Formats: sequence, structure tokens, C-alpha cells
Amino acid sequence: MSLVAEAFVSQIAGKVPFIHVGNQVVSELGPIVQFVKAKGHSLSDGLGEVQKAEMKAYMELVNNMLLTAELYLQWCDEATVGEITHARYGSPYPWPLNHILAYQKQWEVKRKMKAIGWGKKTLDQVLEDVDQCCQALSQRLGTQPYFFNKQPTELDALVFGHLYTILTTQLTNDELSEKVKNYSNLLAFCRRIEQHYFEDRGKGRLS
Amino acid sequence: MGVRVECVCGSGVWRPVRRVPDRTPSSLVKCPCSPPVSTPWIFPPQKYNADYDLSARQGADTLAFMSLLEEKLLPVLVHTFWIDTKNYVEVTRKWYAEAMPFPLNFFLPGRMQRQGLQPSRVVLARIEAKEDATLLGGPASLDAFVFSYLALLLQAKLPSGKLQAHLRGLHNLCAYCTHILSLYFPWDGAEVPPPRQTPAGPETEEEPYRRRNQILSVLAGLAAMVGYALLSGIVSIQRATPARAPGTRALGMAEEDEEE
Repeated sequence: MSLVAEAFVSQIAGKVPFIHVGNQVVSELGPIVQFVKAKGHSLSDGLGEVQKAEMKAYMELVNNMLLTAELYLQWCDEATVGEITHARYGSPYPWPLNHILAYQKQWEVKRKMKAIGWGKKTLDQVLEDVDQCCQALSQRLGTQPYFFNKQPTELDALVFGHLYTILTTQLTNDELSEKVKNYSNLLAFCRRIEQHYFEDRGKGRLS
Repeated sequence: MGVRVECVCGSGVWRPVRRVPDRTPSSLVKCPCSPPVSTPWIFPPQKYNADYDLSARQGADTLAFMSLLEEKLLPVLVHTFWIDTKNYVEVTRKWYAEAMPFPLNFFLPGRMQRQGLQPSRVVLARIEAKEDATLLGGPASLDAFVFSYLALLLQAKLPSGKLQAHLRGLHNLCAYCTHILSLYFPWDGAEVPPPRQTPAGPETEEEPYRRRNQILSVLAGLAAMVGYALLSGIVSIQRATPARAPGTRALGMAEEDEEE
């Protein structure tokens, strides 16, 4: 699909990630999981109640820390905003819409940060939170192939999505990806999933 | 004896907390702040960390469950205590008004409510309670965290308590709350107010302040009355010769009588 068409679909969806199935567009992880479950497939069927609760807790941790840190870095760090984010966000739209929408999105994200108490955080504090989150994930993963031993679950998908994005996106400073690279088992986890599920796309970007 | 813990509320008001017994993990202190603060990050990790004995894996689980609670239960709490009009008027505002000194009790609760409204518009998506509490060995910071949410929701006498009714149906959580309450807050188990039970304590400390405040307010009132009387001329002080002084005083009194 061309870039413009994808952008158009993502506008309808509103949020990433989204899937386009037939004439349906489903966005965000929660609804996608529900949609797939309704079709009869679920990654976490084999888990017990306690494990499912643990999985939900870790997914919330990732959403709380990693997602917020990514948003912070993209929209609240002036250097990154000026050099990368504004240009990237406004690229599918003609002038002056690209500037207007970019500023509007930035205002929205800053308002959300303030509401959840991240408005006054410095970049160093945010990076420290990311480090804590990665440490927790690394502890939970240990030496297992996936978070719940042999089978990947929604948590693995979520963690892979975030870590892969952090590791492969070029930003003005590399501190975020350096924090993740400190944990070798997380890096190995990402490479393993990339090779196993995405190897038909050619050479992996992590190796 | 115990650690004297002071807690900083979001509004900047210091509220001294009762002395806690020695073996209480210092994170298990009651604080009327809303929302519950992440206690492990208040105290220096060397001495007061309740998670000292936990393994790294358990620490990771703790962090994950705290995020889950913050994401799901915090909006519920804010909604139940601050947004729901009935609850706010009958319970929350009364609590904070009693805890705060004059004249803060008039406008601070209202301001906190307006602050609570902002995050709830942005963050509050669905209201749903999770039964994720686990007591990992001895009580740890996760227990303090979970307890701080659940105890508020279960113990407060809320007029509109749909969530409360739902929570009361989850028996293991209720038992968990009462267990912690009986272990660390035994005086709150009974309905008798604490000052009657403790011989010394906060009540006698408050007495001189109350007395002093009363005396000060009476003096202030008197000074205001005398000042007004002098300025408006009802009572005037005239420097006259001693012979004429009684006469002047009599004149002054006559003026007062006329005006009355």
C-alpha cells in the first residue's frame, strides 16, 4: 500500500497499530486482540488465571512506561520535535495543514503528559523510568525464549513492537535505544522474534 | 519505639501521622492524600524500603502490578471520591475540611476537585476493578499500594457505592483488607475514636493550640472593636488637665449615650 493510502487509513483508524481486514479497520492492541479472539484465535489460551493477570499487569507496565516515554521523547523533547517529529508527522499533508496538525498533536500530547504527571519530568527522569521498566521486563524474561516460556503471547507481541521501534528508529539522541541495549536478553528476544516471524522480508534490521 | 512519619499531600499541607510500630514497613502509613503516592520512592532505599527482602523477579512483578492498579483503579478512585457529586459533597469534602486548618478548608477541597476533573477527562476510559492483589511473603510495597486503594474504597461510608458493592462481593480482597487493618491499624477496627484510648498523644498536643487560637481570635476581635470605636469617634481620648478630665470623660459618655 502506498504511503498516502496508509496515512488515509490510519486517519480513519485514529491510532496505531491497526489492521485492515476486508472492509474493516481495527485499531489499537486491545480491540485487535478482541477481534482476533472473536475469529477463534488467541495467543493466551493456554495460560492460567494467575498468569493472565500477570500478563495484563506487564502489558499495563509497558503501556504506562514505554509508550509514555516514547511519546515524551517525540513530542516534548524540543530537539527531537524540531528536527524529526514535526516533519515526519506533517509529511502526508499539504502546506499549511502539515504545520497546523503537527502543532495540534504536540499540544494534545503535552496536555496528556501534564494530566498524568509527566509534564514536569526531565529527560533524565524519563530515561530512568525506561531503564526501570526494561529491568523489570528483563527480570521477567530471564533466560526463557518468551515471557511465558515456550509460546509467545500478546505480551511478547507488545514488548517486541515497542522495543523494535525504539531500537530501529533514528532520533537525535540514541539514549533511549542505549538503555534497551543494556539488557542482552531483551535484545536477543527481539532478534529471535524478528528472525522467526519476519525473516521473509529480507535482511533483519537488528542484526 | 517507632518511626514518626510525615506525609506530604499534593496540596502542600503537612499532615503528621501517628507513630507506627517498629516492624511496620514504613510504606504502610495512612495518608489522606489522593491519589495514593508511590511510597517506595519517598524513602531512601537503604533504610526504609519495604521491598528489601524481595527477589529481583518479585520486584519486577511489583512494578507491573502497580502500573496495572494505577491504570485501572486510580481513575475509579478519583471518580468515586471526587467526581461523583453525592460522594464528594457528603464524604470527601467533609474529610478534607476537617483535616485542614482555617481558612484553607474553604477553598482547597474545591481546588483539588477541579484538579481531579482534568486527569479524569483525559485518562478515564472504562471503570473496572481487578482482583490482582497478592501478598508476596511478608507485606511489601505492593501490598501497601493495593491496600491504600482498596481500604479507601471499602471503608468509606459512601452514599452512592456501586463500586463498593461490587468490591464487597470479592471476599478474598475484603479478607485481605481486614487482615492488614487488624495487623497495622488495630485502633481503627473498633468504632471508638483513638483519643479516648491513648492517654497521651495528639489530643493534648492539639489542646494548647486550640486554646491559643481561641484567645488569639478573641483578642483580635477586641482589637478590631476598639480600633473601630477610636477611629469613628464613639470613644475619644483627650489629653486634658486633670481638673477638667472627669468633665471630659462625662462628655465622652454623654456622646456615647446619645448615639446609642
